[in-house]
Amino acid sequence: MASSDLPPNDPRPSPTHTSQRGQISLLRMWVCVAAVLLWISSAGCHEKANMSIHIEITAADFHERLLSGKMMFLYFQQQVSPTISLFLVELEKSAEALQDYGVLVGKVTCKKEPVQAYCTDAKHQHRAFLFRGGKEFLSFSLDTVFDVNSIVAEVLFAILRDEVKYVHTDADLQTLEEAAKGKRDIVLGYVRSLGTQEHRSLMETAYVYGSKYQFILITGGPVLKQLGVNESSQLSRVWFVHCRVHGAVMTPVTSERCPLTRMRTALSTLSLHTFLQLMEAPLVSKVFVDPSSVPPPQFPYQLTPQVFLFSHPATEHLDLDTASALAWRLRGLALLLLVHRQSPAVKTPEKYNAAYRLPEKSSEVKYLTLHSLDDVLELFTKQEEEEEEDEEEDSHSGELDDEVAADVYRNRGHFLDLDQVTQLTSDNFHSEVAQSSLTVVLFYLKWDAVSMAFLGSFVEVAEKLEDSRVDDVQMCVVDCGEWTDLCAAQPGTAVPFQPITEFPSVLLIRRQQAAQRYAGALSGEALHRFVMMSRLASPLLLSTNEEVTSFLQEVPHPDLAGYRPDKVLGLFRTESRTGLSVFTEAAELLAGEVLTGLLTDGLVEKWAAEHDVEPPAVLLFPSWRKLSHPSALPVTSSSKDLLTQIHSALLQPVPELTVENLPSFLSLGKALLLLFVGEEEDEIGRRQNQALVDQMRGVSEQGGARMERYLPCWIHLGRTPAGLSVLGSYLGSLPPLPALVLTHLLSGDEVYQYPPNTPILAGSVLQWLQSVEDGTESPAGMLGGDSWPPAFEFYDFLKVMDMQEVDPRSPEEEEVKTEEVNVEEHLVTKTMPYDHLDMNSKFHSEL
Amino acid sequence: MEANLLRFILFTLVGLVLTSFNDHLHNASSHYQYCVLGAGPAGLQMGFFLSKAKRDYIILERNSGPGSFFNKYPRHRKLISINKIHTGRHNAEFNLRHDWNSLLSDKPDLLFKRVSGEFYPPADAFPLYLSAFERELGLKVKYGVDVGRIRLVRSATGRSYVLIDQHAADYSCSILLVATGLWVPQEVEFAGSHLAEGYESISTNPDDYKDQAVLILGKGNSAFETAQSILGRASRVHMLSSSTVRLAWQTHYVGDLRAVNNEVLDTYQLKSLDGLAEARLEDVVITKQEERGRKRSGLNNPETRDKLYLNLRQFKQNSDEGKGSDEPWVELPDYIDNFSLRKPYDRVIRCLGFRFNFSIFDSSARLPPSENAKGRLPGVTAWYEGKNTPGLFLLGTASHSRDYRSSAGGFVHGFRYTARAVHRVLEYRHHGNKWPSTRLMTTQLMSWILKRVGEASGPYQMFETLGDVILLRGSHCEYVEEFLLQALPRFSSLSGHDVSSQGLIVLVMQYGKRKIDNLGLGRSETDWTQAWKSNFLHPVLYYYDSLPTAQDMKTRPHGWPLPRPKAIHHMVEDFLTEWDTPLSHIQPLRRFLEHCVHSDLRAFSTENCFRSALTHRKPPLFCQQGYLAR
Repeated sequence: MASSDLPPNDPRPSPTHTSQRGQISLLRMWVCVAAVLLWISSAGCHEKANMSIHIEITAADFHERLLSGKMMFLYFQQQVSPTISLFLVELEKSAEALQDYGVLVGKVTCKKEPVQAYCTDAKHQHRAFLFRGGKEFLSFSLDTVFDVNSIVAEVLFAILRDEVKYVHTDADLQTLEEAAKGKRDIVLGYVRSLGTQEHRSLMETAYVYGSKYQFILITGGPVLKQLGVNESSQLSRVWFVHCRVHGAVMTPVTSERCPLTRMRTALSTLSLHTFLQLMEAPLVSKVFVDPSSVPPPQFPYQLTPQVFLFSHPATEHLDLDTASALAWRLRGLALLLLVHRQSPAVKTPEKYNAAYRLPEKSSEVKYLTLHSLDDVLELFTKQEEEEEEDEEEDSHSGELDDEVAADVYRNRGHFLDLDQVTQLTSDNFHSEVAQSSLTVVLFYLKWDAVSMAFLGSFVEVAEKLEDSRVDDVQMCVVDCGEWTDLCAAQPGTAVPFQPITEFPSVLLIRRQQAAQRYAGALSGEALHRFVMMSRLASPLLLSTNEEVTSFLQEVPHPDLAGYRPDKVLGLFRTESRTGLSVFTEAAELLAGEVLTGLLTDGLVEKWAAEHDVEPPAVLLFPSWRKLSHPSALPVTSSSKDLLTQIHSALLQPVPELTVENLPSFLSLGKALLLLFVGEEEDEIGRRQNQALVDQMRGVSEQGGARMERYLPCWIHLGRTPAGLSVLGSYLGSLPPLPALVLTHLLSGDEVYQYPPNTPILAGSVLQWLQSVEDGTESPAGMLGGDSWPPAFEFYDFLKVMDMQEVDPRSPEEEEVKTEEVNVEEHLVTKTMPYDHLDMNSKFHSEL
Repeated sequence: MEANLLRFILFTLVGLVLTSFNDHLHNASSHYQYCVLGAGPAGLQMGFFLSKAKRDYIILERNSGPGSFFNKYPRHRKLISINKIHTGRHNAEFNLRHDWNSLLSDKPDLLFKRVSGEFYPPADAFPLYLSAFERELGLKVKYGVDVGRIRLVRSATGRSYVLIDQHAADYSCSILLVATGLWVPQEVEFAGSHLAEGYESISTNPDDYKDQAVLILGKGNSAFETAQSILGRASRVHMLSSSTVRLAWQTHYVGDLRAVNNEVLDTYQLKSLDGLAEARLEDVVITKQEERGRKRSGLNNPETRDKLYLNLRQFKQNSDEGKGSDEPWVELPDYIDNFSLRKPYDRVIRCLGFRFNFSIFDSSARLPPSENAKGRLPGVTAWYEGKNTPGLFLLGTASHSRDYRSSAGGFVHGFRYTARAVHRVLEYRHHGNKWPSTRLMTTQLMSWILKRVGEASGPYQMFETLGDVILLRGSHCEYVEEFLLQALPRFSSLSGHDVSSQGLIVLVMQYGKRKIDNLGLGRSETDWTQAWKSNFLHPVLYYYDSLPTAQDMKTRPHGWPLPRPKAIHHMVEDFLTEWDTPLSHIQPLRRFLEHCVHSDLRAFSTENCFRSALTHRKPPLFCQQGYLAR
């Protein structure tokens, strides 16, 4: 078999390697395809032949093959039992199949060939082992490898485990989509259960196509729901996710997902192969002859119907658009051909506007006159949709359109363990807050999805603090749906905060002080950092040189290792009382965010002299700059001004934009000169990226005052993959990296792209900026606007009520009826004047 | 010259005399900015608000303690207002939904449960509670002041109400808040009406009714309470009124017959000896006759009681419309031999409720009787001011004409909120304090609405009468709680809040209007798209792009609390009254709010906010107010 020529030890190229290897793997892929096809076509006779394959292996063979690094799937038989015999039959069957993938399947009879360890340990008799690269790679319980399908599926799955990804949530899937965009397409599979024929088919295909497509397995639940599949339908399914040529259909925020095509046939190796082939077929092919003269589709599409549409020269573009739109909907079902009527070879009467040819019948072409594209679609999908209708409707009504709410809803079964946090109430608030120097309180509402999503992170922070034995911080939560008076700041006693009107809210409460509002990102990491930083006094009084050094050089807590906070040092002579209070006030407001230190005695002069400032002064040590070069600020008259100055001085001049820091830079209101760099693979890449960032700094420095309006910045697509779709949205497609764009201009919504393939050098960037300003550049794209109309139609009750409320009987009329019944029964008075029957005024009622 | 001087002196003298005379008058009376008449639950409730706002006020009470009505009524001494202490919740606001006796205050523990733990508490507990309320809040009450006359006095400085008590002392008040309740027994004139005893004076000892046939006039709670107490002693209890029984659990009106009082329905329907009948009371004729043959029966009863016979005055069959009362009448039993009430009674008891005491108002301060409630209540504006008496407001049970038979304004658990609304009207009108409001970011509005529908007690008790008004202002909104719905056209002038061009949303709790089998299958709606067919109390949101006019209000659809809005949203009724499920309650509400504010209100992940912030001039509101603001 062809594939037995595969290199023995690592048959799969690692996905991170590129071009050259890619070609090799492509070649190999075709070899594999051929092998699979051959295997399939001859499967029948092999089934019998399999039985005769000798899988008995000697201890010597085992050691020799182990040393050579070959892949082996072995069972060490210590004893004989009916179950084991059954397994051995299946093992023999799998030997042939796995041979195609370079895996030797064998059995060692321990009685004859006692292999050390594997033959002696009794627990090994219920396991089979996969050896790879000279050592044991994985072992399988016989429960999971019980027949030929499960053996092949599990072994291949093990070999491919670095390449075939698992996704649990739609967010995971989205991340993988992001990574694949512009690079390769995704094959998304869901197998009803592992070890089945379907699982095996998917794994075999992944083995063959793994370097071409990203294979992803769905574990069920949320992702299936997202894909509109009813989980109870119990069918294995495959989707093709078109991410490679994604740019053309890029739309912002919520709909930037890659388009999907669902495989509509039952999952088997052959059908999957056909399906993938079909995905590679051109969307629309142009033909210049009559449909009847077009040959039936050739291998590998011979089983696929053809659909013909006609194009007139006058409406050529429109026709192509229509054809493409239909082709997308028919993808995986039929091939679309566009017949150009202007060709003399086209003889189809004008009254027909479509034709099709089915594979199974004779190659006869049927001509049609269509009124809408849906008619064509119906031809191929009718039967299927009938089967699925209920299911789809079901899943649609059950969908939440808000991603945060949907996420919380999906996880509603996981009850949060609130043991790690203290639940504050109107009754225990004061006593709990009095217990520690710092109380962190989360105010939440159960029905607010953002609150509930953050509550999980909050509890994790509490656990983290507990784990590192941080005992001076108390983490508390208030359920504002229950303790409404506490959250309204009116529990009957005074509380150190204002009524809470935003959920979730986090307050930091220190004894005898007004609460401080946490204004950072709603992530566990950011909150943890903030809380850890908040434990330190702000400002921290420093009185010795050692204290100053440790303040500047050390991380405040081992848990924050790797985090470099900004640091601010106040230099005050003892007599400058007013300046000191301004600084102290500002420092209090900076607590948690920036580390502040205060020098008031003799050391002041030393530090002032060293940095050439006149006290009172504030030295800033931004995290992004070397400690030896602090910047200095004079002390202003108000703490608010000082705070603003500190904040702006701490901003990096050419920042790397991240999801977390973008808001602080956007708030500057400057146009963004934004560089996108890709993920580096090696040191060379890293150096190249660094050089690019240096050029951006150059732009900032050389541009001088002209650059005031611009913020030169960059996004690292490896660290901030969300940037990829931003870039795609700016330009409509993904350009080669690095890419430099100019966006968020004050003057308009145009987005300009620095000429690709032109070296990014400070000087030429400045020139380019000049020509953008001069209006000689044309924009490459546009920013979306600032209005976000509702994405979903509301349910118009008024309209529904108007339609359904037919002839409402007025209550008066009903009254009359009841009254009459009673009169009849009791024969009391027959002559109730009807005009007195306004029950509202007639009634006696107790008050 | 001289003449001028003389004239000057004369003027000065006259002026001095007049001034001192005025001063004298002034000294004899006491002036208050606010006078509250009556120290019942409504008066004390208002007292709390005035005291909290540090206003110049006095509460005048003719009796020696608060809530004296409850020393006598209900006659059988059991309150039927729910005192549900064990709700399983700590939410103070939510708990008020199930506490019908407490008054509003800022003391979390000043609740009725302190004086009684019983679900239907004894009546004596109520004055006890009111005393505690008055004492602990330090309310200014003057007891023993029996105001017999109220008149309106106009002077150069404005108008004031002058109240004259039994000692001819007078109290001059800029604003008069009448919280005198209803205590004059309601009577109906008919032939022989003097033969009936009144609920106010009957014996409450069941033994006094042994073997007696009793006819009770009325089918309200006092009638049934009376019937229930004598059921085990009386030989037969018949109840007569013009209308059929209305069951509170069917009408959702707590003034209708409560199930706690309805034992007679059981004995009637199971054919014991009791029963209900209908007839206009004005047509009743009661005649007294000595029981025939009684003296001969030799019963050991020294005072044989006279028997009371009931007849009905009958109009001629073909009487002309409107002239009925002038037509001759005949006595019924003479020609209908199976007349239900043909057997004589030992007692006829009148249990027809109470009416407002109109008599103390001078013609200058006259309150017109309401058009509904048989004129038993004074008519007031939608903000409870007398129709022709500016500065005179009605509080408490007497203010019930605005929501008579439709909401709870005649009961403590309802009027404690309307009193607060009146106080807010006054605070703005006289002190320039706008109605309290909460400023919310528009992205927080939905959570806040869900919070209100889950806990708010005011709109829940005063359904269809009080509602929250949300003023849309683009990226934020002002949330005004518990406005008087019927006064909505006057919202800006009453509350001090402007309505912007973005419009407003009004949040109302309401019951379904369809007549249904209240216990039958299909009585509740669970599909949110059918929420407008909800039969039980459920939140409804009305969206207007501008304030409805008085004309809109007048011509509103039948049975609607508000005029037809631009858009409406019903939140489907919820068995647990929590209205917080993601699919059935929250998402449809969000889409409705999105429609009202013309903006996407969804929450987004940080990554999506990052993306949209970079790809758009501005990201969605959630990202602007959350992600970018952090």
